[in-house]
Amino acid sequence: MSAILEAIFRRRSIRKYEEKPVPKDLLLQLLQAAMAGPSAHNGRPWEFVVITDEATMAKLRSHLKYGKHNAPAAIAVCYNPAIASSPSSKRWWVQDCAAALENMLIAAPGLGLGAVWIGIYPKASSVKLVRRILGLPPEVTPFGLVYTGFPAEEKPPRTQFEESRVHWEHF
Amino acid sequence: MNAALETLYKRRSIRQYTGQPVSEELMTELLKAAMAAPSACNSQPWEFVAVTEPAAMERLREALRYGRYNAPAAIAVCANPALALNSCARLFWQQDCSAALQNILIAATSLGLGSVWIGVYPVQYLIDAVRVALELPEEVTPLGVGYIGYPAEEKPPRTQFDERRVHWQTYRKTES
Repeated sequence: MSAILEAIFRRRSIRKYEEKPVPKDLLLQLLQAAMAGPSAHNGRPWEFVVITDEATMAKLRSHLKYGKHNAPAAIAVCYNPAIASSPSSKRWWVQDCAAALENMLIAAPGLGLGAVWIGIYPKASSVKLVRRILGLPPEVTPFGLVYTGFPAEEKPPRTQFEESRVHWEHF
Repeated sequence: MNAALETLYKRRSIRQYTGQPVSEELMTELLKAAMAAPSACNSQPWEFVAVTEPAAMERLREALRYGRYNAPAAIAVCANPALALNSCARLFWQQDCSAALQNILIAATSLGLGSVWIGVYPVQYLIDAVRVALELPEEVTPLGVGYIGYPAEEKPPRTQFDERRVHWQTYRKTES
């Protein structure tokens, strides 16, 4: 099986992490993966905030109901309309940011990292919290977080393929 | 370089395809990759329409103003709230379906296939046109379509990594 298919099946939501910090080099590789994602009209409406500071991680953990996991690092994927190179990002930014985030999750296992997607947008309370904790200006919207670190739990690779969800030629 | 990263960089939007059809076996591989994607609270709000017949592809192409490329196959990623396993999908279905579609594109690259993401939702006239072309019921919403086929153009691998887009610890405005 190709390395990427393996990575796609190995990508599981990891919620327990070792205390060990994530080297900057690995975080940069995740960001390189993120920015290899496609975006509508190549608008690249994204910005990223990388958090490795324990005090900030602790704030995220204590305020985010679905982000209590002990990951030592996080990458926030954010939308900034001012830096998008195409006006079409207004319509497609959620999908652009989702593709970038998914790329990081897929890159993680090959780097020995575990990761989990913490959804933020469009939940207004979570958007507000993350904006405050990360000091985002009002025009920048936090889309979602990747929690990452060295995994302290193992999950088998899987797909949840279900034939009943597939229609051929038409619905 | 890490083999997975290499494939992520190799995934480029391919808009010219050879006439060679894509086998059902490979289409099924892509669908397995799609359904390995994460979804909020594991709600799996998705359904897929796999298109490989020339007449059906022609109908789809007609429906997609920005999808007039000669791909022999396509997978439409759709949301069906009735199938979602929980209510998380209400807020997050668009992201769930996007992750599934991105998985399809990446998997295609590793199987020697080219691909391109054709956006549908939230543009109403595209949603309506795809719904007609694929005979989707009212409650099923097409998020986007991945065109698939053997590439007839070559593009070098790349990332568009830009360090000005990265902030460490907290957000700081960058000079433009």
